Amino acid sequence: MSIMEYNGGSVIAMVGKNCVAIASDLRLGVQSLGIASNFQKIFPVTDRIFVGLPGLATDVTTLHEQFRYRVNMYTIKEEREIEPETFAALVSSTLYERRFGPYFIEPVIAGMQRTPSGSYKPFIAATDLIGCLNFAKDFVVAGTASDKLFGVAEGLWEEDLGPEDLFETISQTMLNAVDRDTNSGWGVVVHLLTKDKVITRTLKGRMD
Amino acid sequence: MSRSYDRALTVFSPDGHLFQVEYALEAVRKGTCAVGVRGQDVVVLGVEKKSVLQLQDPRTVRKVAMLDDHVCLAFAGLTADGRVLIDKARIECQSHRLTVEDPVTIEYITRHIATIQQKYTQSGGVRPFGISTLIVGFDPHDVKPRLYQTEPSGIYSEWKANAIGRSSKTVREFLEKNHKDGMSRDDAIKLTVKSLLEVVQTGAKNIEISVMESYGKITSLDLSQIEAIVADIEREKEAEAERKRSRLAATAAGQAAMMQRTGESSGQ
Amino acid sequence: MDISFALTGKGYVIVAADTTAAHSIIKVKLDEDKIKTLSPHLLMAYTGEPGDTVQFAEYIERNIRLYQIRNIYALRPPSAASWIRRSLADSLRSRKPYSVNLLLGGYDTSTHTPHLYWIDYLGTLASVPFAAHGYGSYFALSLLDRYHDPEASLEEGLATLRRCIDEVSKRLIVSPGKYKVKVVDKDGVRELDF
Repeated sequence: MSIMEYNGGSVIAMVGKNCVAIASDLRLGVQSLGIASNFQKIFPVTDRIFVGLPGLATDVTTLHEQFRYRVNMYTIKEEREIEPETFAALVSSTLYERRFGPYFIEPVIAGMQRTPSGSYKPFIAATDLIGCLNFAKDFVVAGTASDKLFGVAEGLWEEDLGPEDLFETISQTMLNAVDRDTNSGWGVVVHLLTKDKVITRTLKGRMD
Repeated sequence: MSRSYDRALTVFSPDGHLFQVEYALEAVRKGTCAVGVRGQDVVVLGVEKKSVLQLQDPRTVRKVAMLDDHVCLAFAGLTADGRVLIDKARIECQSHRLTVEDPVTIEYITRHIATIQQKYTQSGGVRPFGISTLIVGFDPHDVKPRLYQTEPSGIYSEWKANAIGRSSKTVREFLEKNHKDGMSRDDAIKLTVKSLLEVVQTGAKNIEISVMESYGKITSLDLSQIEAIVADIEREKEAEAERKRSRLAATAAGQAAMMQRTGESSGQ
Repeated sequence: MDISFALTGKGYVIVAADTTAAHSIIKVKLDEDKIKTLSPHLLMAYTGEPGDTVQFAEYIERNIRLYQIRNIYALRPPSAASWIRRSLADSLRSRKPYSVNLLLGGYDTSTHTPHLYWIDYLGTLASVPFAAHGYGSYFALSLLDRYHDPEASLEEGLATLRRCIDEVSKRLIVSPGKYKVKVVDKDGVRELDF
């Protein structure tokens, strides 16, 4: 049994038209034994960035604290909020620091990036556990249900989905993918970001 | 080359003095007064409290610190240095419990504090702590109250009653005159307040009293209690003065009478 | 082999742990207290590698006490849990990690809420309504899923705990004989005869 699958959990992020969404399950387990059904894996970084941290649960908390510290230091020193692209680079370098003794986490980043013209464009990215970045134009997945998420997302995702359609797409993708995975599930949380607001919804899923 | 001379601030003077340590003692003498008194099965710490400024939070200005369940410390001198030393002592108290299960004895923690103070008179790039401390408490599994003193030089010693800080000499002399072995709780508290009143003109509101009655039982007297004791002392002083006055009057009257009688007899 | 349970109720947390100390298959002590009182409103049950458990628990105990002496007030349960978790997470990536599993039950006197945390030797922290460690968890968690009520009175909470302990005694081959049960609520920590 891989250490990446020890606690279970999955995250997905999707791009829409002037919006992005990121979703995860809420399960914390020890292999097949369920421990908690309220374990958050997605954390707000700024008003316009969320990061999902599926993988070993101890590292979920440790990395969350680590990122919070580094982002706070960035905000104080630069006197401005960090942008999604910069944050992705920060995630990557933080993970690569532990190249030969890694944190067992595959982060997913979703945010609205400010463009030079002052508008916002959706941004998603994912890395592996040592910080190799993958910038995708459609969706990124990670966690124990990643293979299922790939399959469902490939079938449901379309280009230029509006906020409501994107929410429905990511919710259905997540709910249906985790139902086929024993180590993910126990409820789903979805965050939908547009240029000026964040909508967070918690979904009921199968509790088995 | 000059490094070797100016790295250590504390170097001997030709006649064998460590000036920095003596200056530290001067800082202690300028600090507010603290008194410790041991009774039969009680030990009392009293400190002179600087008046709190109108907008200041009085809880943040404390001169008596708890080091562990059974140890209290009062200091005179630089408050900032006191804080650092107190923190080191508190860590040692917990560390001692962790490594050998038992709580520290009062002598042990006193020696530890004195050792730290001594180190700062002999190491490079540092200055001595500008504080003297009074450490009180009860050893585990023991009923005897303890009172120790440490100084910036690293000297430590045990006492029945002692004072440090501003006018400590006056207070110590007062204690030497008035301390009795085996005092009760109330007597020990009263002596502490009385001795502090020798140097604190402003009375009860500038006095803080902590009483330790047995292992881990620490109480801090509130203002009304101290005021009551001060009033009691004032009344006693008044009565004493009254007695003195009437005795004086009586002797004067006696003398006058005698003078008169001798006058009468010589007149005959 | 050791087992620990904990559950929250209306204004309290019950923490229970077995009292057996064993060397492989031999019981060497039957009245070991595996629940430490960290502060006036905080309990910690610890299980795991013998040696590591007591060593780690005492280290935590002394540091929580030091915090209280330094700051007058004790750490509140969420902060204490976070600090303890960090200690284990740091230990995990050290030369010799502690293998200690914890249940942390506390009552927050400023918000008047009970808190329960499940922490394992990896430094995994979860805030839960009920929890268990050891072989007991395979029986107790499903029972607690069915019978746990966050609004239950202390008597009802203890009855639920009784179900868990009885089930373990009935079904587990290596079931322990005795448990120590402690409760923390607004009045602080106390041990219950069980």
